[in-house]
Amino acid sequence: MGGEISNWEAQIRKGWLEVAILATLWRGRLYGLEIIRELETSSDLIVAEGTIYPVLARLRNDGLVEAEWVEGVSGHPRRYYKLTSAGRKRTLILAKHSNTFLERMTALIKPLLAEAK
Amino acid sequence: MTSPIDSALQGLIEAYLKRLRQALGSLPPEEIAEIVREIHGHIVERAESTQTLNEAALKRVLGALGEPEDIGSLYQSRAMVARARAGMSPLLIVMSAIRWAGRSAAGLVACLFGVMGYVLGIGFLVSPILKMLYPDRVGLWVGRQYWNLSMGTLSAAEQGQAHSQEVLGWWLIPFGLIVGPLILLLTTLLLRWALRFAIPAAVVRRNQPDT
Repeated sequence: MGGEISNWEAQIRKGWLEVAILATLWRGRLYGLEIIRELETSSDLIVAEGTIYPVLARLRNDGLVEAEWVEGVSGHPRRYYKLTSAGRKRTLILAKHSNTFLERMTALIKPLLAEAK
Repeated sequence: MTSPIDSALQGLIEAYLKRLRQALGSLPPEEIAEIVREIHGHIVERAESTQTLNEAALKRVLGALGEPEDIGSLYQSRAMVARARAGMSPLLIVMSAIRWAGRSAAGLVACLFGVMGYVLGIGFLVSPILKMLYPDRVGLWVGRQYWNLSMGTLSAAEQGQAHSQEVLGWWLIPFGLIVGPLILLLTTLLLRWALRFAIPAAVVRRNQPDT
């Protein structure tokens, strides 16, 4: 049972990760570690930090984000990501769908949780 | 506060990056270099921001990042699907579908469909050769009493059964040569379409350079 739930949770996290990464980039460019820090504080989506980099590569390949190397003040180059115009449109669509989905799910499970108390 | 990384710890980082390079094996060298550079930057920045940087702390940083083989596998899957959905190589498309099959039920269905399609297509392609070698034992057999369509080599006893008759004769040769490639092409196109569906993209741009 526990295994089934953790598998379900892993699938949920995987599904939401792309939306969450796009959402973090809505306000401006960020590099990988900044995205991770942002997600760490606003969600618990990240299990292994390294998984966000292949997702970023896919988003870049799909033309939703673009990347730029910038020399950091600490001397390490950082690869910054920002949304393209197609990425902004997609993020907005995903955000609207996510919002509707979450509202409906909350409405569905809220009475159940209240009853179970 | 930053902590310097000594040579022993550098060795640990190098070992991790070496495993990552190996896990990224078939990607273009310039892409591997960029990935490794980015992950290296991540490790260094995480390590330098720890209060006391020692071996245990660095291992925690690397542990939080995940196994390099897992990261490499995710990159490889993405790259393979991107190449497959852009190309027409049945091998690449089937390999991508197999990877996809391991991740979702839709992938499994697509993979089974692909394997069936290719087996059927190859069967039709091979049938003209078999027809020339064994003209009496290869054909398209249709039952009289019921729908029983079968193609392939039949034993003499089965041929003698009254309920079936061979309908194509030598027409099997052009039929197989036309239908076989058509099934292979259709399977390839449908699988490629399914792979595009697997990773929907608002805009499909390949080999997009850094800006």
